[in-house]
Amino acid sequence: MTAEHTVDVLLDDTLLTLNRAVGVLRRRNLAVERLTLRPCGPTGVSRMTFVLNTDAATADRVVQQFHKIVGVRAVEVTTVQNHTPEEQP
Amino acid sequence: MTETVSGAHILCRTLVEAGVDVLFGYPGGAIMPFYHALPEYPSLRHILVRHEQAAAHAADGYARASGRVGVCVATSGPGATNLVTGLATAHMDSSPVVAITGQVSRPMIGRDAFQETDIVGITLPITKQNYLVQDAAELADVVRDALAVAQAGRPGPVLIDIPKDVQNQKVGFVPSVGAQHAAPLPTASDDTIRRAADLIAAAKRPLMMVGHGVILGNAYAEVRALAEKTGMPVITTLLGISAFPEGHPLHLGMPGMHGEVHVNRAIQRADLIVGIGLRFDDRVTGNLAAFAPHAKVVHIDLDRSEIGRNVPTAVGIVGDARAVTRVLVAATAARNCDAWRAEIDGCRRPQDASFRGGMSPEAILAAIRDATAGNCTIVTDVGQHQMWVAKLFPYRRPNTHITSGGLGTMGFAVPAAMGVHLARPGEPVWAISGDGGFQMNMAEMATMVQEGLTVKLAVFNNGYLGMVRQWQQFFHGKRYSSTPIWSPDYVKLAEAYGIPGYRVQDAGELTDAVGRANADPGPALVEFVIEQEANVYPMIPPGGSLSEPIEAAV
Repeated sequence: MTAEHTVDVLLDDTLLTLNRAVGVLRRRNLAVERLTLRPCGPTGVSRMTFVLNTDAATADRVVQQFHKIVGVRAVEVTTVQNHTPEEQP
Repeated sequence: MTETVSGAHILCRTLVEAGVDVLFGYPGGAIMPFYHALPEYPSLRHILVRHEQAAAHAADGYARASGRVGVCVATSGPGATNLVTGLATAHMDSSPVVAITGQVSRPMIGRDAFQETDIVGITLPITKQNYLVQDAAELADVVRDALAVAQAGRPGPVLIDIPKDVQNQKVGFVPSVGAQHAAPLPTASDDTIRRAADLIAAAKRPLMMVGHGVILGNAYAEVRALAEKTGMPVITTLLGISAFPEGHPLHLGMPGMHGEVHVNRAIQRADLIVGIGLRFDDRVTGNLAAFAPHAKVVHIDLDRSEIGRNVPTAVGIVGDARAVTRVLVAATAARNCDAWRAEIDGCRRPQDASFRGGMSPEAILAAIRDATAGNCTIVTDVGQHQMWVAKLFPYRRPNTHITSGGLGTMGFAVPAAMGVHLARPGEPVWAISGDGGFQMNMAEMATMVQEGLTVKLAVFNNGYLGMVRQWQQFFHGKRYSSTPIWSPDYVKLAEAYGIPGYRVQDAGELTDAVGRANADPGPALVEFVIEQEANVYPMIPPGGSLSEPIEAAV
């Protein structure tokens, strides 16, 4: 069953790390609904947030691949079932 | 103490610091400052290859045989792009390779300068990490980091791209004071170990499947202890071959597309699979939906992303194969699997006729085994000969079978064997190729002669790209489209390179030719003229179930 998975990735703020991170999504041809990038906390760390509309297994596999990227510090997923309203906190 | 030196010298010094003793490379414009500095570091032996692809494969072979990082060097542009196949091979097979490439000078980057290519961009998906060094002041840290990343956890290739002006840039350099500390490997929780042990105790038809992780993790003794304590039969994947003794009564063989019938039947009947350091790839599992339908899976792997990736896992244990297996042995009660082993033995088939008799793969491999007293390292290419070697060669020592598994790179064997030789000087190394794969990188014979590398070259010549021809026979109505392949006279070719060449057309000549080639002081080539249309049996059709093999007609 598909659901909205919001994935938060804390990663080194270098172009190569960001490029690798986006490459994970590109290689799997995943439909990314939103993608934001902003500075976060300590200098040199960014927070990349994206929303995937996919099944739980695919989302989990993406998260595992992010864990492998050198320079990724943390990955967190929030899942919202599609039948629930978008206005969840 | 800080000295002021150029980036090129920093590169050399950090490599020496890390204990690197051999580089495989090819010079060119953008890497010339490095090559200018290199002669001042006699402990860095440079092997001049004939094509950069060979440098990457040789570094890979060196890494697999030594357990240490293999290093290759190329210039920018075409030099760098020629490394790509080798890096992808190392990436798929988790091999610690560091590639160093020259880049055009910083002010030229992005201008389509002569021999400029975005090698960092090109290699992003096939490296574990890569760097474009923007300042020589970063270089020492980058090289140290690259060497560490390549080996840390699940190994893999790393690329360092260094602009020419950074190689010439002079900055302060502080020698490293001590070895870098490797990050601790994850350890298994008591709970997961206990659950795995419980499953092993309760299973009626348990199996072990072991892969490359056992070799990378040096977990041979632990894996053997687990097998012997529990009586579980052991299956070795293509890259797991030689991780468990071939002649051991618990050893079953290789699974998957060309696995023996009894091995695949065992998987299909098993109620438990304990997988150690393998990734259940599609050549192993066949149709995933039909794979091991009765089995619960305990999966031990260093890479957490592999757990549950291809097969559902009852217990996933993230950790080093050696450490986890050792704990699992202690937690597991002794048992036997005699009834189950007898059931598997009942599925054994007589060996396929194409393996027997005259110039059969079995006879050729027996001659190599006898000539080397079974103590050689075999490096295989990709195709039919690779499967014959995987199924038939009686490996006695761990990590003596080296092949391109994941990427399936034809042309791998000859250059990779050069790296294996340098990692294990004094030990016999045989590179076995088909006539197709051999012709891809046969120019490396010149490297062997120039650098004095004792590699024995075996060419299985059937006049076809045999594995593709086999697929055409089975699945494409025997339309042998572009698979007949002409070969030069290999004996004369060897002679042209100044090395002995032997042609064997009759089984009666095997012992003599192989023995002489093996005894020759330097490289030697033996061409084996084999049956043209022999097939590798059994075969699971691509996407098929392990339960439905194509078998040789009796």
